[in-house]
Amino acid sequence: MSMLAAADVHPPIQRGLGWLYLLSGLIGLAAAAALTLEKIEKLRDPSYVPTCSLNPVISCGSVMDSSQAAAFGFPNPLIGIAAFSVLITVGVVLLSGYAAPRWFWVGMQLGATFGVVFVHWLIHASLYQIGALCPYCMAVWIVTILIFWYTTLHNTRFISLGGGRVVALLTRFHTVIPTLWCVVIAVLVLQAFWSYWSTLI
Amino acid sequence: MSQQERTSKKIGSLKTGRWRPSANVVMTVAVLAVAAVIIGGAILFGGKHNSSASHSDSVDPAILRRPDSNTLNEKPRDEASNTTAVKKVTLVEFLDFQCPACAAYYDNVTRKLEQDYSDRVTFVTRNFPLDVHPLAMLAARSAEAAALQGKYPQMYHALYNNYRSWALNSGAGNVSSDQQRASKLFDSYAQQIGLNLERFHRDMSSTQVQQRIERDRADGKTAGVASTPTLFVDGTKFDPSGNSFADVNRELRKVLDKELAK
Repeated sequence: MSMLAAADVHPPIQRGLGWLYLLSGLIGLAAAAALTLEKIEKLRDPSYVPTCSLNPVISCGSVMDSSQAAAFGFPNPLIGIAAFSVLITVGVVLLSGYAAPRWFWVGMQLGATFGVVFVHWLIHASLYQIGALCPYCMAVWIVTILIFWYTTLHNTRFISLGGGRVVALLTRFHTVIPTLWCVVIAVLVLQAFWSYWSTLI
Repeated sequence: MSQQERTSKKIGSLKTGRWRPSANVVMTVAVLAVAAVIIGGAILFGGKHNSSASHSDSVDPAILRRPDSNTLNEKPRDEASNTTAVKKVTLVEFLDFQCPACAAYYDNVTRKLEQDYSDRVTFVTRNFPLDVHPLAMLAARSAEAAALQGKYPQMYHALYNNYRSWALNSGAGNVSSDQQRASKLFDSYAQQIGLNLERFHRDMSSTQVQQRIERDRADGKTAGVASTPTLFVDGTKFDPSGNSFADVNRELRKVLDKELAK
């Protein structure tokens, strides 16, 4: 516990974060690129059925055609392509041993927070407004949650609000929170599409 | 740096002697296990009602056809009496008036079938408007409002015969969401089949009509309906294997003939 209360840089934690950024950045970039390509295909031929439209519920087509899929006036996956590329770069830089200054981490925190809020808005839209799921989007949901969680956990070392014990506890059980988080979303997905899933049994 | 790390790790593992999962791993696995048990339990328990209905071949006829369900070829509800000859086979269709597949079924299968089998088969239709079709509910309301004036079959035919003009966008051919255009057209159908327009409007927005549609939909869900059109021949779900409507048409006639021969 005393080790974590100290505000020094922990190389193992930073290395772990580097790997997390690199791998989740790659997954996110692959998903965003796939969605962009599907979108282009769909624009070229409106009757095109995306490869990830498998049934009435798992249907990228209906998600991609929704207004929420272009929240800022252009297709969301373009944000993903830019943001996940940056993340991959940051991951590699951290793995090279670079000790980033505080302002750098503030930037990471802002980006990760925007990402996680945006993703939850999209989850809400997908489950309750569009009524369809898109597997690529769900991959992005998961990596964004992981990025936000571990970035936040890492950055708590800059804040000393006397929450050392809580932070220590959360760090010790660092995979429990994101697991719970994903379980809650899985339950919401099951619940939202219950009538459909239950016909498959 | 990394060497230091490695040595410290080694010392750590030497101290404990053998590898044990950390408390974090134990907790995480516990969370997953509890979640799996709860979700699994919910699927087993919650799914039971539906799965028994969708799994077993036949569904309770009382759910598929309520005493006041609309039919295409029996006397209107208020005129129906016990003297009506009981048809031998009942074909129940759960439909959505705006669903393209339902309209295609109507054009290629059921319209002709209705003529050919009207003396032997009772054609029951139930509402199953899907949220993805913006005008499906409006169409269902107008059909039910016509039913209250004893003209359900006429409205049913008007809606499907004119499917292209109200349900689809004129240019692109995809599903329309133009409520105004649809309402106007529905009014003209109502006039053509001789409905009292004022009462038609009143009934369309009545809770009675709303409740009838909701009950149809609930019955459909109980019967395991997940998509439209879904057909039941004497309580058994019709599951065509053919790829073309000609195949489906042949299969459905075969099933009906077999059921009639019983």
